[in-house]
Amino acid sequence: METFKLRVFRYDPTKDSEPYYKEYTLPVEKGMTVLAALFKVKEEQDPTLSFRYNCRAAICGSCSMRINGHGTLACKEQVTKILEKYNTDTITVEPIGNVKPLKDLIFDFDYLLNKMKKVKPWFIPKEPPPPDGKEYRQSPEDHHKIDFASDCILCASCVSECNAFKANEEYLTPFVFSKAYRYAADSRDGAKRERLEAVLDKLNLEWCVRCWQCTTNCPKEVQPYENIIRLRIMAAEEGFKTPGERHAEIFEEDIRERGLLNEMLLPIRQEGLLGAIKRAPFGIKMLLKGKANIADFFGGHKVKRHEEVVKIYEKAKEKEKEVRIRIPQILGVVYEDKRKTIRRANFLDKGGNE
Amino acid sequence: MSQLKYAFYTGCSAKGVAPELYDSTRLVAEKLGMELIELEAATCCGAGAVQEKDEFLAYTINARNLALAEELGLDLLTICNTCTVMLRDTKFKLDNDPELKAAVNEVLREAGLEYKGTSEVTHFLWEVIDGVGLDKLKSMVVRPLKDFNIAPFYGCHIIRPVYLIGYEDPDNPKSMEMVIEALGGNPKDHEARLACCGFHSFWSAEDEVTLRLTAMDTKAAKEEKADFMVTPCPLCHTQLDAMQEEAEERIGTQIGMPILHLPQMIGLALGMNPKDLGLHKHIVPTDNIIKKITSSK
Repeated sequence: METFKLRVFRYDPTKDSEPYYKEYTLPVEKGMTVLAALFKVKEEQDPTLSFRYNCRAAICGSCSMRINGHGTLACKEQVTKILEKYNTDTITVEPIGNVKPLKDLIFDFDYLLNKMKKVKPWFIPKEPPPPDGKEYRQSPEDHHKIDFASDCILCASCVSECNAFKANEEYLTPFVFSKAYRYAADSRDGAKRERLEAVLDKLNLEWCVRCWQCTTNCPKEVQPYENIIRLRIMAAEEGFKTPGERHAEIFEEDIRERGLLNEMLLPIRQEGLLGAIKRAPFGIKMLLKGKANIADFFGGHKVKRHEEVVKIYEKAKEKEKEVRIRIPQILGVVYEDKRKTIRRANFLDKGGNE
Repeated sequence: MSQLKYAFYTGCSAKGVAPELYDSTRLVAEKLGMELIELEAATCCGAGAVQEKDEFLAYTINARNLALAEELGLDLLTICNTCTVMLRDTKFKLDNDPELKAAVNEVLREAGLEYKGTSEVTHFLWEVIDGVGLDKLKSMVVRPLKDFNIAPFYGCHIIRPVYLIGYEDPDNPKSMEMVIEALGGNPKDHEARLACCGFHSFWSAEDEVTLRLTAMDTKAAKEEKADFMVTPCPLCHTQLDAMQEEAEERIGTQIGMPILHLPQMIGLALGMNPKDLGLHKHIVPTDNIIKKITSSK
């Protein structure tokens, strides 16, 4: 392929009533990034094209956009690789999804910034500065807990295809949770509860649908999804009672008592009697279709070798306080077509034995 | 042929609200020459819920599940996306963290078990492609799905995250389309192909998020004039099928998009009886599909 088409989202609110797409034909050059392609268009074909950029090295986070449907940094994506990945001769470039476009590829970041302010993304010290006049310090192990989360460059790639945000604009968005986690988990920070209360406002933290899209999009391996889960673990440890926490309790009870989850008794245990009444027509519908078993309404059956499960459950509960679970680095993971030769992640424990 | 033997992990849904998935998997696997040894002692994978409250407990119960497959000397085969990612998550953490593995094994020893890390976790979809093979699948088709426009719905946990799944490109997967094409069907691209069904935030955000996603997904398939959607995950199925009516009520539009489990679609093309495959157990009627498939030849 000698040339490719760059299909660009165009919109100037002072002139256009509706956004439209404009196609530019460009030569395929080895090593050319999507950002470089946009520059070529601006310099040689259309000086009116607007986009944000700065460092050109995936450090500043300015050139985030949606490339063939996925939020990422234009300076990090090579034209030849995108053409190959989607098996196409066209690269479609749009502003980051789920946010208002301002002009061409530029989107309204202030809107997201206002969300971020809610979690107070700054350090609130727990104690006065050390008497020796030096900086606040922390151990490598404590630093490891916030290491990845502090790599966020606010590019908003994670926001672009976020499913919860797509459904509801009141969702705080993945990078905001990552910021909240980065401070709440900091050993020197004194506002953990305040931050948890902020993310649990309207239960926002539990709106996340566990789709893992943000972690997949993130160009900096910040692990936004994992940080959301770490915040939920933290909230459970701090004693916050939420539907998610109750849900987990039901799963634990069922694993201990019978092994598998009893889906038919879930509503009454999750939401109490009122919930059960509200859900009753649904239960009857499932029953009539043969999707539910009458026996399940009376507890249901146990898995084989259930006594093993009880022993393991009790012992795990007893031991869990002394076990240190490390946060894995997931850098450098790639997929391959052949299942058996998948190159596994590079798992490094930065905080452990240094 | 005999090497297509797996430790079969059913998960809760196939034993609960999606019995038609269990039945159709059994029938289709047998036809395709896959031997499934059911792990009748296996427990729930925690589904992400336990993982959010007691991480160590979650790793321990899943280490036991994996140890049950290791006892048989077989790879563990799942039919649920979330089970797949949760079991692979435990395997990933234990295989890369000797301290955690030792702590987990200390607990398993209470029940005379040990996690070694010798069994892989694989999904029915991947084994149809890599184990059975698409050429063989194609050769077994007796009722090609040529009259059907089919909207694949991957479900998050069979493509993301790469560090736990890694089977194919999460931005542009092809496995579902490959199976649909092998069965003679027409895969339809649609907005929600890689989207989320909303299942996992149901109890916290039913109105705020879950049902809105369900409506968006099924509408996207309808806009492309799909005859049905197909998914490799029973949680997506419950959400998109059983909760579709609730989603329709919320947006005030009728959608009526039938949702099939992956093995049901394969079974139809292989000539199996729709009733044996449990198509009548769905909440959104599948009558039109049954009519079309039984009248085609």
